[in-house]
Amino acid sequence: MANLLIVDDEPSVLNALRRMCLNRMAAPALPDPVVTTFTSPLKAIDYVRDHPIDLVISDYRMPEMDGASFLTQVKEVQPDSARMILSACTDMQGIVRAINDAGIFRFVSKPWSDADLKVSILQVLAHRDLLLENRRLANELRLKRGVISRQQLELERLEAESPGITRVRWTEDGGVLLED
Amino acid sequence: MMQSRFEPGAGKLDDFAWIYALYELGQTAATGVDPLKAQQDILDHIVSGLDAESGSLALVVEGREDLLEIAAGTDLPSGTVGSRLPRGLGVFGHVVATGQPLLINGGVAETGFPVPLHERRDRSTHSAMCWPLRVRERIIGALAVNRAAGRPRYTIADLDRGHVLTSLLALVMANHRMHVERENRILELSTLNAAMQRMNALLEDAQNQVIQSEKLASIGQIAAGVAHEINNPVAFVLSNLGTLESYLSSLFELLDAYLEAEHTAAPLARARALREDTDVDFLRSDGVALLGESREGLLRVKRIVEDLKDFSRGGAEETWESVDLHASLESTLNIVRNEIKYKTRIETRYADLPYVECLPSRINQVFLNLLVNAGQSIEANGVITISSGVDGGEVWIRFEDTGCGIPPEHLHRIFEPFFTTKPVGQGTGLGLSVSYSIVRKHGGRIDVESEVGRGTRFTVRLPVRQMQA
Repeated sequence: MANLLIVDDEPSVLNALRRMCLNRMAAPALPDPVVTTFTSPLKAIDYVRDHPIDLVISDYRMPEMDGASFLTQVKEVQPDSARMILSACTDMQGIVRAINDAGIFRFVSKPWSDADLKVSILQVLAHRDLLLENRRLANELRLKRGVISRQQLELERLEAESPGITRVRWTEDGGVLLED
Repeated sequence: MMQSRFEPGAGKLDDFAWIYALYELGQTAATGVDPLKAQQDILDHIVSGLDAESGSLALVVEGREDLLEIAAGTDLPSGTVGSRLPRGLGVFGHVVATGQPLLINGGVAETGFPVPLHERRDRSTHSAMCWPLRVRERIIGALAVNRAAGRPRYTIADLDRGHVLTSLLALVMANHRMHVERENRILELSTLNAAMQRMNALLEDAQNQVIQSEKLASIGQIAAGVAHEINNPVAFVLSNLGTLESYLSSLFELLDAYLEAEHTAAPLARARALREDTDVDFLRSDGVALLGESREGLLRVKRIVEDLKDFSRGGAEETWESVDLHASLESTLNIVRNEIKYKTRIETRYADLPYVECLPSRINQVFLNLLVNAGQSIEANGVITISSGVDGGEVWIRFEDTGCGIPPEHLHRIFEPFFTTKPVGQGTGLGLSVSYSIVRKHGGRIDVESEVGRGTRFTVRLPVRQMQA
């Protein structure tokens, strides 16, 4: 299963991308994708705060904020999510920010080719799986060697499951600060 | 012409018909086309009037005060007319130099200074008179008449009467010269005028080129937005078509299975299994939605291309048309919106406008400039309000932005060509200057009010009807 979040200010683009992702009749097929879409980056950020996402695909030019700023915020909330930009924009500065600040894995230009885009999505997901697998194995090894505690390992597992859960901020009187 | 003789004095000087004829000749000479012939006619008339056998006329060469030219003559050897002689030499030379008339009888000058006559003549002169032609204080030439041997000699009285006559002639000559000068001046002026008209045409050409290239420059500024706006629908239409292709192939696969079952009477099992696998309801509903969205996307591309065509039209050949300015604004907005919609909200408050006579692509260019400027003045979350109204025989379109505003020290310079505060490459400095001249060409005007930090308001006023149309 792959949780995909797609953000574009154009509903028709979102519909086309959803069709493409869910269409098992055209190769390559994505492995059981769950596709969530937003036309508003602000609402998408809210969603990202309490839904684990494997891959975020974002447009660059959007009314509320550009794709680089949006993905930078996504990265802060869910550093393990993979990020891509899909845009007709050729603004060099924007691309540089997307790579350096938002740490995107791919920049795909519009109009895209369905087959190429799906291959890119598969590659990015595979790459991310490798990174996560690598870290999980490394942590198991560290645990066995006594480098990290079982508690810390559990924390990482919880964080992967529910992003932000391990970083609860407390007020002076013991209340829990919810991110808004 | 020499039938009657008035002895011993000079013939017809007192004859009114003769004087009137001279006057008429003078008139002809003053406005005539052929000055040489006019001079000759006058001379002939005078020779006849003074009952002389021959006469000649010499004029000071224009611009060469030291030279005389024989302008006309009767019974002169051929080649004499047009020949030149220095001032001071001969009878003509002497008369022009001294300004005194001369009466010569035989070889002796009876009046003026008793100068010896140096020149050799090819025939002997019995009696001759020569007068200077004087206009105000300037001597412009001399006239001489001769009587042959055997005729009565001229007297001092004849010389005096002829003197009156020659001042009339001098006046005619002067008038003629003035006429020629005036003709020359008119010719000069019309040449100058033609040159100016050529310059004007060149200037107008150059201005059209500036307007055209400014338009290209402003289109260049919004090209990224336009490309984005075209690429978006193209992208989802392309993707949808790919999806539709796979929808269709799975539907046809299903259809094939049913057809096979029908024709070969094979069991329906395979078709039914395929039917289980295929979400026909989804394909049906999503296929329709997909086609609808794709059609809408292509219509958007079509509209943008049409709006762009409104701009690419133009140049000098554009014609005046009665135009719905709100439609012009909408088509311009379609192009500009892509560039500014990410940071700006656009509000419109249109009144009922009559159709306005204008050059549509030029007016679109003005709207484009003002909208691009308004968009560029806004950093984020701004509003551009477009309103319109009618005011007597003119309409106004107002563009208000909540942008950075224009400092007072720049406000009076914004319509100057090449005045810009934008970074190099972002503006030509011609947008407002060209807009201003376009609106002026329509007989309208652009007003501007601005406050730094609050925003700017441009108002374009255009007459509904054009005077020249």
